[in-house]
Amino acid sequence: MNYVVRIDNKKLKKWRELEDEARDIRRRYADWEFIEKQPPKIRAALIYYIEKGDIRGAALFAGIDLEDFRELLRKANIPTIT
Amino acid sequence: MYRSTDFAIADTCFLIDWVRFRRRDLIFKLFKTVFIPESVLREIKSESTVMWVALNLASGNLALYTEVFDEVEEARKITELSRRLPGAISVDLPEALCMAVGRRRGYVVLTENRGAIMFADLVSDYNDVIVWRSLEVLLALHMRRLIDADCNNLSMLFREYEEDTKHIFPERDLSNGVEVLRRELCSKN
Repeated sequence: MNYVVRIDNKKLKKWRELEDEARDIRRRYADWEFIEKQPPKIRAALIYYIEKGDIRGAALFAGIDLEDFRELLRKANIPTIT
Repeated sequence: MYRSTDFAIADTCFLIDWVRFRRRDLIFKLFKTVFIPESVLREIKSESTVMWVALNLASGNLALYTEVFDEVEEARKITELSRRLPGAISVDLPEALCMAVGRRRGYVVLTENRGAIMFADLVSDYNDVIVWRSLEVLLALHMRRLIDADCNNLSMLFREYEEDTKHIFPERDLSNGVEVLRRELCSKN
């Protein structure tokens, strides 16, 4: 299957804005004290998630299962936003 | 006779949040069967999620979806393309598989993966795939009158979901949704 991809710059701009909003919310809600107390790899994974919103990549980075990482996000008060 | 949209296919991110919702079984009022791909089943681990999935597989509300080679290949292409599109959010393989199945079979794709939602919006071959977040599931429950709407507090179910899952709905999407509900369900004219 060959995809026909024409990038609609208006749509892309809208998605970038939504991403920026989501990142701001994650930064604002996050319990930074909790995050700072974590071991380096977990701390880095949480920060990566805050910046990128990429849960599977962050879980892989932290070396834990996706569901365990989702639970960790709750403990760190980092919301998922969609 | 069922329509293809009476069926849904759920990815891991949707499932692991939805299972924490106090009214999680409402989803079976919307869909005859919710399919769970084998790759998603392999990702769920917690007792509450595994138990809910097992019980509903046993009762037939959920069904296992065994992906075929062509679907996995299509999913790989979705993942690759999403990573090559400038500015796009990456779609991982389990979500991509749900997108491929949604396109081929017309099932509603249940996901909280923003990359998948963006992909369906940006790539013309996937524009017709119906992609729902939990927000759209909750809206549909209201719109089809499968739950009683409280016109004095139309956002109640959405707030319950946010409270139970620690998932946040974008304020603009939520207020637009509530406005639609007010117009369709609570307007006297």
